[in-house]
Amino acid sequence: MSDLKTPPPDALDVAGERDGSPHLPPENRPTQRTAVRSVTINTMLAAIGLLFVAPMLWLLLASVDSHASWGVEWPHFSLINFRHVLTGSLLHSLFNSVVLAVVSTAIASAAGVLAAYSFSRRKIPFKGPLLLFILFSSGVPLTIMVIPVYEIFARFGYLSLFPTAVFLSVTSLPFEVYLMKNFIDAVPVDFEEAARMEQASTFQILRRVVVPLAMPGIAAAAIFGFVNAWGSFVVPLILISSNNQQPAPIALYTFLTLPKVEFGNIAAYSLVFCIPVFVLYAASARLFREGFVLGGGVKG
Amino acid sequence: MLSDTVIAPPVADLWKTRHDKTRFQWSSLALMTPAFGLLAVLFLIPMAYAVYLGLTNLTLVGPTAIKWGFTGTQNLIRLKEDTTFWSSLWTTGFFIVGSIVGVVVVGYGLASLLMRARPWMRIIVGGIVVIAWMMPAVTAGMTWYASTTGGGTFSTLLGIPNTNFLDNQPLLIVTLANIWSMTGFGMLVMGAALRNIPGEAIEAAVVENASAWQRFRLIVLPLMRPTIIAVVLLVALLSLANFSLIYIMTQGGPGTATNILPLYSYEQAFTFNNLAYGALIGNVMVIIASIFGVFYVRIAGRR
Repeated sequence: MSDLKTPPPDALDVAGERDGSPHLPPENRPTQRTAVRSVTINTMLAAIGLLFVAPMLWLLLASVDSHASWGVEWPHFSLINFRHVLTGSLLHSLFNSVVLAVVSTAIASAAGVLAAYSFSRRKIPFKGPLLLFILFSSGVPLTIMVIPVYEIFARFGYLSLFPTAVFLSVTSLPFEVYLMKNFIDAVPVDFEEAARMEQASTFQILRRVVVPLAMPGIAAAAIFGFVNAWGSFVVPLILISSNNQQPAPIALYTFLTLPKVEFGNIAAYSLVFCIPVFVLYAASARLFREGFVLGGGVKG
Repeated sequence: MLSDTVIAPPVADLWKTRHDKTRFQWSSLALMTPAFGLLAVLFLIPMAYAVYLGLTNLTLVGPTAIKWGFTGTQNLIRLKEDTTFWSSLWTTGFFIVGSIVGVVVVGYGLASLLMRARPWMRIIVGGIVVIAWMMPAVTAGMTWYASTTGGGTFSTLLGIPNTNFLDNQPLLIVTLANIWSMTGFGMLVMGAALRNIPGEAIEAAVVENASAWQRFRLIVLPLMRPTIIAVVLLVALLSLANFSLIYIMTQGGPGTATNILPLYSYEQAFTFNNLAYGALIGNVMVIIASIFGVFYVRIAGRR
């Protein structure tokens, strides 16, 4: 719309309404070029969209195909794959994933909201350096600590589901603190002062005033923590020794190591595994967009 | 000592402290303890422990699994002469740089194209790219394995069904898979920054006869610089630790073609049982991540 190389002098007067401006001679009217550009832009986008959707095709088609392979082909429609993966040990792994993610989210969000509140409202010695440390560890993926953590957990006999959930909570804690601090900063301090006049304790103020008002931010942070723990692969792979405590990502990987690869089951299980993530992101899309502009994201 | 609040100090003490400034409250310590306790126990202590662990002869099994000790610079000399380590470092470098270039270029391109696209196009294409980003790494690895292996989606669509792209160009394919799974993030962040560029700045440049390239280079790019650098650093950090995607797709192979540092560290520690040496390679990753992290703090902390 605005690639006119030489606008006529009077274009200055109509800067606000350049498109199809009556001041322009007909040959300079940009409508036709705008149309060409619009087609170009939409074609390019369609091409990129096709490239991005191509890898997903197999997932969608194979999951409803009773004769699936690695190839893409028109499926023999059936929901048998979903029925297979929602039974027995595979269902149990999904349950383990829920426990892992819920416990980890609860710990990280509870510890996070307390720290975020004090960062936002209180006078703390070394506040600046501590905040930089939080920011630093929100960017650095803490999962690279997994070998020393393995050695420590092995020594104490902690190679199981709950200690792993605690470690996963630590990997999302810094970003959660950072995100929640930014949200609490935006909550007016007047409500708290009013509550304090009424002799409310810090705990009451947090529970009745700060948490409800900063709920969108806390929810966004909690969703981040949940998705982080839910999708984690290498941490449970190393830190959980017992097979029947393994979460869904490990079960998914185990499919590949079996003598007979059940392609349809892999696709169906992958989709089932994705659903909570998609639902949670969709539920908080707006919150997340704000949050991610402010900070970073950790995944894996 | 850790009293909950200091609402009304005894009247007699009022003159001692200034009340026009916020003071330190002991309850703040109680509020900070859970978060910083967790970070100390499961981040700082393991990090310090790993420094020591890397200089020992600890193994996963065998006699040195029980009786192990400090071996000084032995592991460091081994690291220096370990050609697999150095090639793994190069592989990691290619993987990270490739991912950065891909995510920034494709993410920026998508963000600026989507701003001018039809609404329905914006929803469909933007949605697809964001879904690719939301997909957990394990699932992304699985779909990319299926699509790029012999007889997979890409070879079928291109009409060369027996070509195994993943075997022919393993490093390129896993890098593309990583770009695919992170572009949505770059697109969202850079899109938000693009929308924040004041329209007046662009309009003024148009009036001044600036070409599209000049407008991009002299107005958009300087305003976008902090955002782009933040994206670069976050993509670098996330790619450095992206174990899952590659482990699912190739397990570091064929040979050592996609053996980036986290996979090599894991392989040494848990396949070859050299726990100490694996920890040392992990420490190299910590150093690299810390360098990126410090730059990230400088960029993100400024805002």
